Amino acid sequence: MGTIAAVLAVAAATATACSSGGSGQQQDESQPLEVWIRQDAGSPAAESAEALTKAFTKESGIEAKLVAVGVTDFETKLQQRTAQKDLPDIVINDTGQLGNLVTQGLVREVDREGVAGSGDIAGRAWEAAQGYDGKYYGVPFNSQAFALLIRKDWREKVGADLPKSWDELTELAVKFTEEDPDGNGKDDTAGMVVPGTTTRGYLTWWFSTMLWSEGGDFVKKQGDGYTAAVDEPGSVQAVEKLQAMFCDSEVVQPGASTADSSTTHTVFESGKGGIYLTGPYMLPRFDGTLGKDKYEVVAAPPGAEGSAALAEGENVYLMAGSGNEEGQQKFAEFAASPAGQKIGLGVDNGGIIVRLPVNTKVDGAAERKDPRWDVFQKVYDDSGRNAPALPNWSTVRQISSEGLNGVVSDCSRDVGDAMGKLAGEIDAELEKQEAKG
Amino acid sequence: MTVTEARAPRKADVRRPPRTEPPVRTRLRRAATPWLFLTPALLLFLYFKFIPMAQAVQMSFQEVRPFLGNTYVGGENYSEIAGSADFGAAVWHTVVLAVATTAGSIVLGLALALLLEGQTRSLWFIRSAIFLPVVTAMAVVAEVWRVMYYPAEGGALNSVLSVFGMGPSEFLNSPDSSLASIAFVGIWRGAPYDMMIFLAGLAGVDRVLYEASAVDGASRFRRIWHVTLPGLRPVFAILLTLAAIRGLRIFTEVFLLTNGGPDGSTEVLLTLTYKLGLERNELGVAAAGTVLLFLILLVLTIASRLRRREVGAR
Repeated sequence: MGTIAAVLAVAAATATACSSGGSGQQQDESQPLEVWIRQDAGSPAAESAEALTKAFTKESGIEAKLVAVGVTDFETKLQQRTAQKDLPDIVINDTGQLGNLVTQGLVREVDREGVAGSGDIAGRAWEAAQGYDGKYYGVPFNSQAFALLIRKDWREKVGADLPKSWDELTELAVKFTEEDPDGNGKDDTAGMVVPGTTTRGYLTWWFSTMLWSEGGDFVKKQGDGYTAAVDEPGSVQAVEKLQAMFCDSEVVQPGASTADSSTTHTVFESGKGGIYLTGPYMLPRFDGTLGKDKYEVVAAPPGAEGSAALAEGENVYLMAGSGNEEGQQKFAEFAASPAGQKIGLGVDNGGIIVRLPVNTKVDGAAERKDPRWDVFQKVYDDSGRNAPALPNWSTVRQISSEGLNGVVSDCSRDVGDAMGKLAGEIDAELEKQEAKG
Repeated sequence: MTVTEARAPRKADVRRPPRTEPPVRTRLRRAATPWLFLTPALLLFLYFKFIPMAQAVQMSFQEVRPFLGNTYVGGENYSEIAGSADFGAAVWHTVVLAVATTAGSIVLGLALALLLEGQTRSLWFIRSAIFLPVVTAMAVVAEVWRVMYYPAEGGALNSVLSVFGMGPSEFLNSPDSSLASIAFVGIWRGAPYDMMIFLAGLAGVDRVLYEASAVDGASRFRRIWHVTLPGLRPVFAILLTLAAIRGLRIFTEVFLLTNGGPDGSTEVLLTLTYKLGLERNELGVAAAGTVLLFLILLVLTIASRLRRREVGAR
């Protein structure tokens, strides 16, 4: 009987503790923070994150414990903790996840003006922390833009200049495909390296830069909401060019329509592909495998409507139900401060968790002593464009990648019809998200 | 229970009064014993299987938002998943894959078993070698096949094709050939397993029947048709049931080889559920999908049992 009474007492105590939870969670400023980052444990990036939390503890006196949750199953792990209603205090994750986190009620709102050093943080980075309702749900931590990596030795061999438009880029890709730029006598090179799978919406992610430059879009503002725009003439034209890359000029690497980024990284570094649109975080790896002198970094060429490049990044999310909201805020402020950003650059250990600093007082390229990073920074500053602030962009990204994948897998499919159908699907999804204008 | 009964003395003991019903306590204890032994397993099943299953059924009627609390939406999830074209296509792909893989594995497995039946020493080695795909982890198998299916001239399989003046084939990369390519991997992996079960079944076929039919002048093919195949009937029943369940649950190979692409041409029930639940975060709709799959399996199982009983009664 004694044990039963004890169990009941514990249960009762837990019940009362829980009832004081929710938004009115009891606050304790000395409570340690649990910090989650989407990096594999033991990787240099996780080491940088560890250094960041240690520096934070030293500066603020608040204990912080870093958990490096694997890249591939981060969302699943977070869902598990959500089901237990016991979220980590801080999550450092993609800006693309913001809508999802907000819809599920997992993150706290952030008062932009109330964040110390708020003015030093780039406006574009703040934009990526903004929800559909215009409020802020995270503090920027890392930004990135994408640029072209082009095999310099191949380009010189085929005697071409740097491309100034998407058409010239395709021409260069044709030369890379047909003129045996690696000189091994075999027809085994591809011009363009494309991750064309629908997994995690890769194809949409890759295609955004091209679509926007050509004046197309996935969705556009209408009234107080959004509406699909993939079926508009500019978009259809861009998608036709995409289809031509797969079907007519056949400049993409074999297997492109099912390739994910781990595959495409290998294609580029093993010398099977010549043009690769990717982020700056790949430079250290390709320097090692391919050699720094073998490739050059250039901004994606302007399209019919000028330049636009996909901008992305990561936010520090202050998770709901924390027992130390003050500590959460302090951590986010520290991570975005010059000191925090410099640790994140990972100059010493190669663990890059801050690609382009969000803090305008930090000059990333100068810190790294590598001008190629400046190309990415310029792309971000001049033509970077965030994904639309839908209630849930990742769902629309997924749906559109499936529509695009259909067009590149089936060369006989009419782009206009397919995009009309895709627009219908996107509109239905917007309706569901209550964001249809 | 059998043990205690077996130990009971059979001889009539004259000094004891005639046997009466054992006291209630004893009967209760006897009835409880098997359940006591089963309890640990049942508790584990309850916690890790039955409760999650019940929760999935519950979730299928809700819009799932773990942190904010779920809301009841009635049959909306079901009408959404059953009404979507993706679901219909996924069911079709799943059935095609299941039928193709099952048929292919059984035919190839039977052929292998007939070729490799016997006591010769060297056969042991060959059988083990052929059985290797079954014991290799599916993830490894899928990665290796992905490399072999490389859709250009340099690819392993394409260079074989080019020897015969064919190809290069797109394999996994074209909507026309992707499903067949996955089925081929399934057959490659499933056939040796079927072969082992056939070998066990062949050992049980009466040798006398072979000799008798040989004496009657039956050809080799006729012997297989009239003696071997009827003798293997129970083996077929087992293989078909196993294959049907395995086929409908297909996930790993598809997930790793194509993840449903290109253009959704290899989307099966479980990859669709995975996408809905974990990529689109519509756990309620995904749960509705799995409940439907469960119902399909249930109906199939009951139907096959009923049929077997019918056949048995005849």
